[in-house]
Amino acid sequence: MDLMEYKAKELFGQYGLPIGEQVVVRDLQQLPQAKELRFPLMVKAQVPVGGRGKAGGIQPAVNEQELEQHAARILGMDIKGHTVKTLLLTRLVDIDSEWYLSILLDRDSKRPVIIFSSQGGMDIEDVARRNPRAISRLMIRSDIGLRKYGAQYLLNKQGIDSAYLPAFWELLQKLYRLFCAYDCTLCEINPVGVLAGGKLAAVDAKVSIDDSALYRHADILAFRDEMENDANVLEARKFNFLYIPCDARGSIAVISNGSGMIMSCIDLLAKNGLNVKAALDLGGGATADRICEAVRIVLSNSDIKALFINIFGGITRCDEVAGGIRRYVEEYDTGKIIVARFEGTNKSQGIEVMDQLGKDYILFADGLYEGVQVLVERRDNP
Amino acid sequence: MSILVDENTRVVVQGITGREGAFHTEQMLEYGTKVVAGVTPGKGGQSVCGVPVFDTVREAAQATDANTTVLFVPAKFTASGVYEAMDAGLPLILTIAEHVPVHDMMGVYHIAKSIGCRVVGPNSFGVISPGKAKVGFMAHRIFLPGPVGILSRSATNCYETVHMLTSRGIGQSTCVGNGGDMIPGSTFVDILPLFEADEETKAIIMIGEIGGSEEELAAAYIKANVTKPVVALIAGKNAPKGKSMGHAGAIVSADGTGSAQSKETLLREAGVHIAESTVDIVRIVADVL
Repeated sequence: MDLMEYKAKELFGQYGLPIGEQVVVRDLQQLPQAKELRFPLMVKAQVPVGGRGKAGGIQPAVNEQELEQHAARILGMDIKGHTVKTLLLTRLVDIDSEWYLSILLDRDSKRPVIIFSSQGGMDIEDVARRNPRAISRLMIRSDIGLRKYGAQYLLNKQGIDSAYLPAFWELLQKLYRLFCAYDCTLCEINPVGVLAGGKLAAVDAKVSIDDSALYRHADILAFRDEMENDANVLEARKFNFLYIPCDARGSIAVISNGSGMIMSCIDLLAKNGLNVKAALDLGGGATADRICEAVRIVLSNSDIKALFINIFGGITRCDEVAGGIRRYVEEYDTGKIIVARFEGTNKSQGIEVMDQLGKDYILFADGLYEGVQVLVERRDNP
Repeated sequence: MSILVDENTRVVVQGITGREGAFHTEQMLEYGTKVVAGVTPGKGGQSVCGVPVFDTVREAAQATDANTTVLFVPAKFTASGVYEAMDAGLPLILTIAEHVPVHDMMGVYHIAKSIGCRVVGPNSFGVISPGKAKVGFMAHRIFLPGPVGILSRSATNCYETVHMLTSRGIGQSTCVGNGGDMIPGSTFVDILPLFEADEETKAIIMIGEIGGSEEELAAAYIKANVTKPVVALIAGKNAPKGKSMGHAGAIVSADGTGSAQSKETLLREAGVHIAESTVDIVRIVADVL
């Protein structure tokens, strides 16, 4: 889960990282709180996607009038499909230069890796592409841990004066402490502001936390639903389903009981010219109640015209799967096409239940390819 | 032959008194797997399906001749369960649960490497050598003994493939569930040498997916070391960018790292047959056998 800047900076603050003064506002009535900060200020839109600056979501304000103008314009603005509901106001500080610093979980070495550059404030992937030497990397072995020589090495590699070592070492240690304590997959400061006098400041903050570890971070878990703006995702979450919005142009949905099968279905449908709008992973326990809820959630999306249910379970009972579809039809039927494929125990009883429904738009397919074929035929001959 | 598990495998089930643990112990015994002990703290002295239960893995290992363990314990207890098994000297540890914190797995991965113990999973269906033994929760009725070795990051894609292979009469030597997480205990490169060395295995199927660079590393390994035909499928070609597809490991970064395209290109260069879909796998395997 990616935290928005203001939440990431709250964590930074808890770990003593230099975030400076900041105020979070959610409506214009809260603007007077910003008076604690001195002008000039930065007004920053809080959305869970990159590219805020380019979209006009970050503006400097030198006085109250500018602050009100920018705040009024940015609150409620749409940035890549996300409505701005929160603003972060920070004091604008004089910066001599900008560095880049992050710690991320490296999948290849399976260790935390520090990425450091004297060229901050830009997209780090662009910096890496243009000049790979502008970036220094240092792996952290868990048995040795982070050591001061690492900080010295990184500064030297980037040609930065050792006078910055005490401040940089402190910054690095605090960031690593946060990385470990909050199960982070990424902690990024871009840019690290180098202030007159040699102090360092975290001008921006990005933190990604491992979803599987959220159970040990109740403060973050409470904040998770606020990040999500898709009603279907939130509704699905109540039942422990994973709802994945896919191709915005699509009109088909997929329900399955595993991530791999979902990806295979999407690939196979796409290959046959059918774009998948959304997918839902049931996780475990394909019981009739859960199947019925899953179908209801997915088909509540008016853009979705047809549904492919593909369940391949070892111990999944097919009569339960079919029973869930029957319950959906009895309670909510929308007349949309449902093609179901299942494999597991009690398959013939499951097929019997499907047959008894007697609806020509609700069909059983005996195989993954057969199911996709039925959907293709239905598209061509509606 | 076969790899990792066979008729000489003697299994400890950690979490044996839980609902999943007890159910799958019964299933494993029914398949002929030698389940010699169970472990649940506080339940030592009980028995499940005739299998004696111990409080700790060390006691289970001392009282029996166990050489493998499988963990049917929740994700939050997985790391400590794995450490306990390592400490008891068990050389093969299979972990089933999904959503194990990735920081936990960072620790597990490096300690396992340093003490020379093999961890398979988490987020895995386990390992099965058809006709000999299954350790895990896979639907064993679809498997058939034979010459094809399978490694898979996805349980469902593996089932689909096995189902089609078996219906064509093509059996499997061993199927390994590497698991769908960001940090698996064993990657493709860790398992490929075993299949290469296994006489019974005549062809290898590798079911990968988007995210990470396991398939890229496997391509380099195959090019240099594998003489048997390898067929690979990369799932997730049409998955939206930047979104985790359910498996924590299945995500393409914004810069394109982990994309299906880069994996397929490198695998092709390494002489691997690329299958477009699971049905395609079976067609190619039938050709190369």
